Amino acid sequence: MERWALVSGLGGDLEVYEQIQRELKKSRGLERLFVLGDLIGPRHNSDALLKRLQEPERGDLQPECIYGWWEEQLLAERGYRGERTAEALRINHGNDAVEGLLTSVDSGHMTWLASLQFGFIELDCALLHGSSADVGDELKPTSSPLILLDRLTRLDVNRLFTARSAQQFRLDLNGGAIDSHIKDLNGEQNQQQAAPKRSVIGIGSGELFSLYAPGSDHIEFLKAGGKPVSRGLGFG
Amino acid sequence: MAHAVISCLHANLAAVEAVLDDIDQQGIETITCLGDRVGYGPQPNEVVELVRQRAIPTCQGCWDEDIIDGLNACECSYPSQLAERRGHLAHQWTEAKMTEDNKAFLASLPTSLRRDKLLFVHGSPNSQHEYLLPDMNAFAALERVETAGAETLFCGHTHQPYVRELRGGSIRVRVQHHDSSSSEEQEMTLPMRRIVNAGSVGEPRHGNTQATYVIHDEATGDLTIREVNYDVAKTCQAIIDAGLPEVFAWRLSHGFEYAERADDASHVCER
Repeated sequence: MERWALVSGLGGDLEVYEQIQRELKKSRGLERLFVLGDLIGPRHNSDALLKRLQEPERGDLQPECIYGWWEEQLLAERGYRGERTAEALRINHGNDAVEGLLTSVDSGHMTWLASLQFGFIELDCALLHGSSADVGDELKPTSSPLILLDRLTRLDVNRLFTARSAQQFRLDLNGGAIDSHIKDLNGEQNQQQAAPKRSVIGIGSGELFSLYAPGSDHIEFLKAGGKPVSRGLGFG
Repeated sequence: MAHAVISCLHANLAAVEAVLDDIDQQGIETITCLGDRVGYGPQPNEVVELVRQRAIPTCQGCWDEDIIDGLNACECSYPSQLAERRGHLAHQWTEAKMTEDNKAFLASLPTSLRRDKLLFVHGSPNSQHEYLLPDMNAFAALERVETAGAETLFCGHTHQPYVRELRGGSIRVRVQHHDSSSSEEQEMTLPMRRIVNAGSVGEPRHGNTQATYVIHDEATGDLTIREVNYDVAKTCQAIIDAGLPEVFAWRLSHGFEYAERADDASHVCER
């Protein structure tokens, strides 16, 4: 049965990526590896990891990458986002973090980073860094269900995989309804809308990653170099 | 106390004058405007100056924004490429016609106005370009109002007036954390919220040529959609005399959108 590996928040750490690749080689049925952004970060020089992602070694599961919040900040600061700069990074982490980020990535990687997409739609799943609203949107188990439903509805998907919060969780919206009364110049009408059964899944960050089987809707939360964090959640 | 909400004036002086007369005749003194004073119509300076003269609080519409910042929305603002080309012609004409003083005034407008639990925006709290259509997913519509911290959201932009009450809602969720094989179930009761679309004064698209606006009685909560007759032929002639695309006059004289509807009208412009 097809399975996907979902990784994010590597932050330039090649060692963690290599550990994950080693563990993926031991897993059966893995067909695709999605890296949901934050490939880079200010703590590590990211060049070696970026090179490895663009030029996988023999035996590596081929990574399919999107950009995350840190890439967005770098692209903005280096002039790839029109007039915007890395304001969010500057406000939250200060100028040193901006400088750290700039020095952690060689300019030779910028064209590749700028070519990365916001997200992937695979089957009925959205694979994103933040959410359908923004790359920096943090979806958590404690987020309002209304907001979660909105983020799913914007892309009309049944599963939304997110990484920005760095948490591993599965939140199923599994029922509910709302009445809508509309009055216009043609008269009045009532409608009842049922809440669709959809899910938001946090895949973790760094050494915390996830495996997902789209056929069975089964999610497994893992930690690189450790035991499974969970034995599997969902309807597998 | 009753207050009136007007939107989407679109440089149609005859319609604006007729609506303001109608409001005055009812003794209503508080008026809020939801933007788009200009665009499509032939009298942008006259309309901006009339609303300024009346000191009507206004939030900035998508046309008001685009005249200042240049065309800043993606193609999602238009239902088709044909509509987009016509829109660009109207944009260029309006930009050339408007005085610098009136442009500076439009640039100074806020994107939203708030009075207690009433929120006034042009499109949605997310964007001046987002359409809150009456058949929009009810949960998504409620999210727009609730996330903005409002109880009643007044909007325009669609040119179709309506009052939508969202009530009796709930969502059940089950949360499974990474370190637990058990799950928590909870049910969230959703609050009652309202979305009120004021329609359009200067370019109605609700299937009738009459200008529309809404009256809200804050004491009773009653909401009334008003239709007002005005001299449509006069504005149509002014459109043609100004050299604007004739289809704008045709649209005014029929009261509905000439072009096809957008495939995804609720799409949020990302630019």
